[in-house]
Amino acid sequence: MSARLSILIAEDSAADRMLLSTIVSRQGHRVLTVANGLEALALFEQERPQLVLMDALMPIMDGFEAARRIKLLAGEALVPIIFLTSLTEGEALVRCLEAGGDDFLAKPYNRVILEAKINAMDRLRRLQETVLQQRDLIARNNAFLLDEQRAAKAVFDKVAHAGCLDAPNVRYLQSPYALFNGDLLLAAFQPSGDMHVLLGDFTGHGLPAAIGAMPLAEAFYGMTAKGHSLREVLREVNAKLKRILPMGMFCCATLLNISFQRKVVEVWAGGLPDGYLLRGDGREHTPLVSRHLPLGVRDARSFNDALEVYPLEMGDRVLLLSDGVLEGSNAEGELFGEQRLLEVLAANRDDQALFDEIQAALIRFRGTQQDDISLVEIGVVESSSLGRPPVPQGGSVENAPLDWSATFEYRGATLRRHNPVPQVLQLLLEVPGLRLQAGALFSVLTELYANALEHGVLGLDSAMKADARGFADYYRLRTERLAELVEGYVRFDLRICPEPGGGRLTLLVDDSGPGFDGQAVMARQAQPERFSGRGLALVRQLSERCTWPAGGRGVSVEFSWRLEA
Amino acid sequence: MAITSQPSADGQELTIVIQGRFDFGAHQEFRDAYERINQRPKRYVVDLKGTTYLDSSALGMLLLLRDHAGGDHAQIRLEHCNPDVRKILAISNFEQLFKIA
Amino acid sequence: MSDPHLDSDVLVALQDVMEDEYPVLLDTFLADSEERLRVLREAQQASDPQAIRLAAHSFKGSCSNMGATLLAGLCRQLEEAGRCEELSVAPALLEQIEREFAIVRILFKSERQRYRH
Repeated sequence: MSARLSILIAEDSAADRMLLSTIVSRQGHRVLTVANGLEALALFEQERPQLVLMDALMPIMDGFEAARRIKLLAGEALVPIIFLTSLTEGEALVRCLEAGGDDFLAKPYNRVILEAKINAMDRLRRLQETVLQQRDLIARNNAFLLDEQRAAKAVFDKVAHAGCLDAPNVRYLQSPYALFNGDLLLAAFQPSGDMHVLLGDFTGHGLPAAIGAMPLAEAFYGMTAKGHSLREVLREVNAKLKRILPMGMFCCATLLNISFQRKVVEVWAGGLPDGYLLRGDGREHTPLVSRHLPLGVRDARSFNDALEVYPLEMGDRVLLLSDGVLEGSNAEGELFGEQRLLEVLAANRDDQALFDEIQAALIRFRGTQQDDISLVEIGVVESSSLGRPPVPQGGSVENAPLDWSATFEYRGATLRRHNPVPQVLQLLLEVPGLRLQAGALFSVLTELYANALEHGVLGLDSAMKADARGFADYYRLRTERLAELVEGYVRFDLRICPEPGGGRLTLLVDDSGPGFDGQAVMARQAQPERFSGRGLALVRQLSERCTWPAGGRGVSVEFSWRLEA
Repeated sequence: MAITSQPSADGQELTIVIQGRFDFGAHQEFRDAYERINQRPKRYVVDLKGTTYLDSSALGMLLLLRDHAGGDHAQIRLEHCNPDVRKILAISNFEQLFKIA
Repeated sequence: MSDPHLDSDVLVALQDVMEDEYPVLLDTFLADSEERLRVLREAQQASDPQAIRLAAHSFKGSCSNMGATLLAGLCRQLEEAGRCEELSVAPALLEQIEREFAIVRILFKSERQRYRH
């Protein structure tokens, strides 16, 4: 049973009009009749019939012109027009089609054919209606999705940009919807002023790719702010991703810890294309090569958190990039690739222009903008030129204990995995007077702990770090010996004493090692070009007093404070 | 892209051959290739001779196969990798999880 | 059945479609045809091939619908003459059309008589 349609008949011959309208209404449709094209147009506008039967040759306005105008009025909706004609010449039939006609009906009319044609046209009309409805639905859903993405991105940006991507020595470029390509860029200062950077790329696209970014960012920022080392951040985010991501999903990532004070960068790279250590003095760039499986693949037991360590000079830059940069392909399906990137790097003269040059090269290669690239570059600058990281929040001033002492001793296996510095720092920051010195305190704790662990417990000689090769050997040896560590300890002795109008912290860090001659170390470190031992000089600079108690097995430092009345 | 799988005569080894692009579009076909078989092979071979391109979702699919084949005990060989494919596997350090030939 | 002037099969079909309206259709056709003939005569006097063509075309259409087979054929010839601007044959054709219409008119009138009630 075909549907009841409203059908406009335009026919100038009265007998034909009457005959046709009778046939059509007997077939169950609602009929509107007119005698020429102009009337047809007027009634079409008024009644919006669903189908038109149109005589080709009519006075005043012929069927061709009327058809053209009706098609314009109908817009995207399909209003089928069947031309009624005894025209026989092919040329005239072509004119019917050109005017927008969808079919013909020859005179004399045949009822059966007429009915079949009306039904066929109705099917086309409904098809078009469905297509339009679905198109509009898709457009609405897409707009909705984009809206959701915008909202999600706004929320995410609040989290992601909680860090220090806006620091003066950080430059980055992310395609607007890089997040929904699974790209993630995070940077944050540790309390010491070291900077942690993460560039990540989750497998897949869209929401599934973006969803892992949130917990990763939280862990990264939370742990970095508390002073956890890059290794600890790594282990945590890997374990977290392994736990929450479905099998087969993972995050290719490069993580950096850049110490502006110690002038080193620690690198962990798993699955992203090579990053580069760009030398400011014209030396060859050092590629930062992926050595690990991506994050979220290995479980905690088999995860490899080994870092590579490179010395830095002022003016050096660390460049990281997502695979979107290398995988841009041109019309021939050829990839942009590493070689073309290296050519851009080699041709670069002005640091400021590098990102523009990379983008321009991509556009030249592809012919269009690439929409899934992430680039970040961190410049090596004086640490004093960077703002101090914010003071961590602590408990209330009234309830803070002000006269106490405590000793922590970390032994053997604990030292292999655990970094005690955040724990000790957390405790000290319960003392309101120390909170304002959190950064200095963290740096001093970190240096003293590193000193005690590396030289005392692991027996490493910082003189090894005299040149670049020795530098690498030193860190390799550190990793090996730490992995084999069974005995030994590092001890923190904390003493908080009230003083009139304030208080004082005395902190002694010693270890199970054979002891050392602080004065001699300090003398060696006076040579500024050396890679090693900027540590103790820093401690002296940051603390109020720094002494080496007799026996040379530890270092004692003091911090004092005055409370505002 | 077309994925076919062929068990060895003794049923101990399953060879999965991937033609063309190995990317997210191959997801279901790739799973079917090792899930819709009756025997439980001991070893798997993924033949990438005809594979022109491999993306990170393909790496994810390989991890799914590895999980299916017993995780750390899985025996999976990736064969006939062209230089581009080899490079992608190398960047992700998948040689730590798969034998790559 | 195969009356060359009026196809009786067509008439049966028309009756079937139109039911009670059948006599009205016949009246309408006759009145409309008088008008078409008048237009044709004017066009021929004005020696306007385009006007001849259009009027003959419309007349042909309704004749074919009404089963006036011979008349439709004559109209088709006149339409063709107009299209080719071959007006020398027009007067003779028009005369034939007038004669044929006179016959068709009588046949329709008598058909009409049968439906008086």
